[in-house]
Amino acid sequence: MSSDTGRLLQLLFAIAAALLVGFALTMCVSTQPVQAYLTLLTGALPQLQYSAAHGWEVHRLARFGAALEDGITLTFLGLAVAIPFRARQFSLGADGALFLSSLAGATVALTMGGPWFVVAPASLAAAVLTGFSWGALPAVLKVRFGANEIVTSLMFNVIAVEFYRLVIAGWLRDPDAGFLVTRVLPSSAVLPSLIAHTNVSAMIFLVPVVAGAAELFLARTTIGYEIRVVGDAPRFARRVGLPVDRAVIMSMAIGGAFAALAGIHIAHALLKRLPVDLNPGMGFDGLVVALLARNQPRAIPMAAFLYATLRTGALAMERSTDVSRELVLVIEAVIILFILAERLLPALRAAIGPRLRARSLDTASPQVLP
Amino acid sequence: MSAGLASMGLLAAALAVAVARSTTPILLAALGGLLSELGGCINVALEGLMLLAAFFAVIGAWCLGHWMPDAAPWACACAGCATGLLAALLGAALLAAFHLELGADLIVAGIAVNLLAEGLTVFLLVSLVGDKGSTASISTPALPSIHVPGLRESPILDTLANGADGRGHHVLIYVAILCAAALPLLLASTRFGLRLRAVGESPAAARNAGIDVKRMRYAALLLSGLLAGLGGVYLSLGYLTLFQAGMSAGRGFTALAVVFLGARKPLGTIAAAVLFGASAVLSTELGAMGLPIHLVAMVPPFITICTLVFAGWIRIGRHARPRARITTTTTS
Repeated sequence: MSSDTGRLLQLLFAIAAALLVGFALTMCVSTQPVQAYLTLLTGALPQLQYSAAHGWEVHRLARFGAALEDGITLTFLGLAVAIPFRARQFSLGADGALFLSSLAGATVALTMGGPWFVVAPASLAAAVLTGFSWGALPAVLKVRFGANEIVTSLMFNVIAVEFYRLVIAGWLRDPDAGFLVTRVLPSSAVLPSLIAHTNVSAMIFLVPVVAGAAELFLARTTIGYEIRVVGDAPRFARRVGLPVDRAVIMSMAIGGAFAALAGIHIAHALLKRLPVDLNPGMGFDGLVVALLARNQPRAIPMAAFLYATLRTGALAMERSTDVSRELVLVIEAVIILFILAERLLPALRAAIGPRLRARSLDTASPQVLP
Repeated sequence: MSAGLASMGLLAAALAVAVARSTTPILLAALGGLLSELGGCINVALEGLMLLAAFFAVIGAWCLGHWMPDAAPWACACAGCATGLLAALLGAALLAAFHLELGADLIVAGIAVNLLAEGLTVFLLVSLVGDKGSTASISTPALPSIHVPGLRESPILDTLANGADGRGHHVLIYVAILCAAALPLLLASTRFGLRLRAVGESPAAARNAGIDVKRMRYAALLLSGLLAGLGGVYLSLGYLTLFQAGMSAGRGFTALAVVFLGARKPLGTIAAAVLFGASAVLSTELGAMGLPIHLVAMVPPFITICTLVFAGWIRIGRHARPRARITTTTTS
């Protein structure tokens, strides 16, 4: 059994165990557990329906669109967490980078006039630069002063979120709106939607491009190599004289830049204006996605869309049954715990091992003999 | 003049009381965080453990009141407190088991426990109480307050000892003070404390000295769960008398920062916790005075970062050459 199949088995086991725990919980509280669970699993998918009058029709596209939108956000957030993780940096600063960069992008879009091909790249650049430098900040403090990056990135998150609220409540608020929110972004900066009744924009084409670029970056560039070595064998990296500090800083800065893409997606495609009460904590969703994908950029879009399907299904479940959507958080937590459990696999193998080993010996021996 | 002084004194006493009230949950959780940190296990799950304790305390008290309608309110509150602590202990045990038995990464598993707590509390809240936001629709008894009698003559002392409303301090405030006093002693001058620090300092050396590293780490994580649980119970059966979704509101993460701000020392941790409690009071006061609350809310995290940087700067002065500390989580 190769380690890849092992990891895949463990992933499947984790998902199955988590879904079982979720189902047990649903059974405890719900009068219609089976229907609730079916809605959770399939609620986000579009429905094909046939009627004599209209022929084949696709239903629930808006809900499917919501899942796609969420999947795009989660892909970027997953990358934002995965890249620092590859260098074994526990940066939880994706939230702060997301808030500040969406603010930077929106500020540029609101203050700068001009045609779309000037405004859109300008606000994208502003956002990515903001995310990059904000992500680098805790890394620099860690490299220069040994400040624990978990604590500093959490504290920087608080500062970023409060700064975001301060700016929107104080300077960017729309005086005509009944609540604290910026003006609607000019159409030159807003990404048009591709599917009716949804906000799925051209960002969706960026998902495979960005994930592929991240994969290439880790596999084929010098800095990517340094990041991987620092993460896998920090002492070795230091002994052979790799620029450890640079790898640490770059991994977290690039994570911040990916969080900025999520911020752009939220501001310019989904909401089209920034409310003061944008929900913090999205960085932790990115963490889940990164873990599901085992920090492999190429697997992150799949993990993101899988998770987004579940979350959208949970919304549908909450609306149509008596089970609340927070069930997904429990499922998510159980998945993470079982994926992390490194000694789970050997334990499982010991339980079911003898049979498998016998079979693999049978298939292996003819290749070895000649 | 003396009347002015007296009223200043009263004001200061009232402020001190407010600081004590907002410090208590942070202090309890931070002491827990310190214990597990010194045992070599960073406990990122403090936030979730507080939330679990706060929720199950309210539910426990409610259930006892439901089953035994003639139970006294304080008995319900005590039952709630016990349920809450048990829930926090179970959460910590889950984390410890996954980390120590199954080799899960402690930091990420801690975040998973936080997610579990966030989801489970709201999920059960909706299912049991039928409300998504809080348990305001069911009545919750508070744990009793302790009134110090015989201080009528000196109003300043009376305010200090019994609060501005004269009803006395919540019993968990005294528990927090006791814990804060006992923890330095426990760490410095008991066999348990010595072994705990040894395990945190160098697990290999501790193992060679015949210390059961895994058992000490279980103890460290469970004790930190207990202390964080006390903080959580204080939130829902004292600070407020209801459970609100997400009511720990980042206090667990603050407690983690407090441990580092206090340079992983008991007295430093206590001082840092008071600093955060005071800044919470300050931000409400300044908010009432019309200063932008968002600006004030940035102050404690800013201080934390500055202190961490300053501490690192001093350390580098000693060791001459800056060196990045690469986090490696040890699995025993």
